[in-house]
Amino acid sequence: METIILNGSPRGNNGNSEIFIRQFLKGMRTHCDVKYMNKENPEELASHVKKYDTIIMVLPLYIHSMPGMVMRFIEHLEPSAVHSKQAIGFILQCGFTESSQCKYVERYFSCLAKELNRTYLGTVIKGEAAGVYMLPKFMTKKLFTLLNQLGEMYDQTHTFDRRVMEKLQQPYVLTGFTLKFMQFTTKLGANKIMWHRFLKKNDAFHKKLDQPFA
Amino acid sequence: MKQTVVIREMEACHMDCSYTLDLIHHEVKYCQGCWNCWLKTPGRCVYKDLDTFYNRYVAADEVVILAKVVKGFVSANMKSLFDRMIPLFLPYVDVSTGESRHIPRYPKYPDIKFYYEGSFITDEGKQVFEAYIYRTFDQFASKQITVKPIESI
Repeated sequence: METIILNGSPRGNNGNSEIFIRQFLKGMRTHCDVKYMNKENPEELASHVKKYDTIIMVLPLYIHSMPGMVMRFIEHLEPSAVHSKQAIGFILQCGFTESSQCKYVERYFSCLAKELNRTYLGTVIKGEAAGVYMLPKFMTKKLFTLLNQLGEMYDQTHTFDRRVMEKLQQPYVLTGFTLKFMQFTTKLGANKIMWHRFLKKNDAFHKKLDQPFA
Repeated sequence: MKQTVVIREMEACHMDCSYTLDLIHHEVKYCQGCWNCWLKTPGRCVYKDLDTFYNRYVAADEVVILAKVVKGFVSANMKSLFDRMIPLFLPYVDVSTGESRHIPRYPKYPDIKFYYEGSFITDEGKQVFEAYIYRTFDQFASKQITVKPIESI
């Protein structure tokens, strides 16, 4: 069983998707090839992946679905032969806190697997992931452990473990305390602090609400 | 007079409009996820190929989109256009409706008429596609959103 992992981030090996891939691979014993969509010709890459039993795409959420660059690759994918038993799976990370924001593309990926005649392994979804690359170690420990487990279970069973997926996708929707807390911090403007720090560093704070195309 | 912008991936019959973005001949550069449009040059993308489009989009009352369905989804070119619309919104997220939404940068956004050509292998595929388009333009703060197969117009 040979698997190829595709990094679908336009930032390539310099983004959060790469961190997810490294942690997933840490749990695996079997070697896996990794390719970067931002460095490959999409047509050639679509042809290259035919020889692998399984494709796992690891990607960020852009406007409720895959980045345009990933769709270019999907445009070139050809359906597997009938009874080929080839499979496809996705690991998706997004900036929004609630993972339900990913449900549209999750349903699409499920349909795409059918169109490609591949077994659908599922889509692993993790919200609140935009800042993973800059978080201190103690804040990513739980996430990394779950990704290690996901890789380990995949190596053993060739499936995405449902319990691990369930844990990673929490919170699915904003309810109860989480929602109240977020509404409270938004009222205070606390959710803007991080953005303002970057804007100030870039000497762009005074332009933050600019409407250059009005 | 009503300002209409057309975005098209197919040859179309003549329509009165203030601007046409021809995606047959224009390849939209991919969003690089650099966040410069939020954090370094607020409201402006590092690429300039869509500057006229941005200008006309935020001035429009209505945007008519003629899209091709590719592998049960929007084309990569159309998807890149969606990705590149993020400079029209602020990085801040509002949760007053119970889910996260980006806050608008501009006072108003156009109504959307999205017509698509192409088929789906299952009914679910069609539902997923339409739900995705609605959600996208709902996130893009458009008030009236229509999504229909092109043969229905």
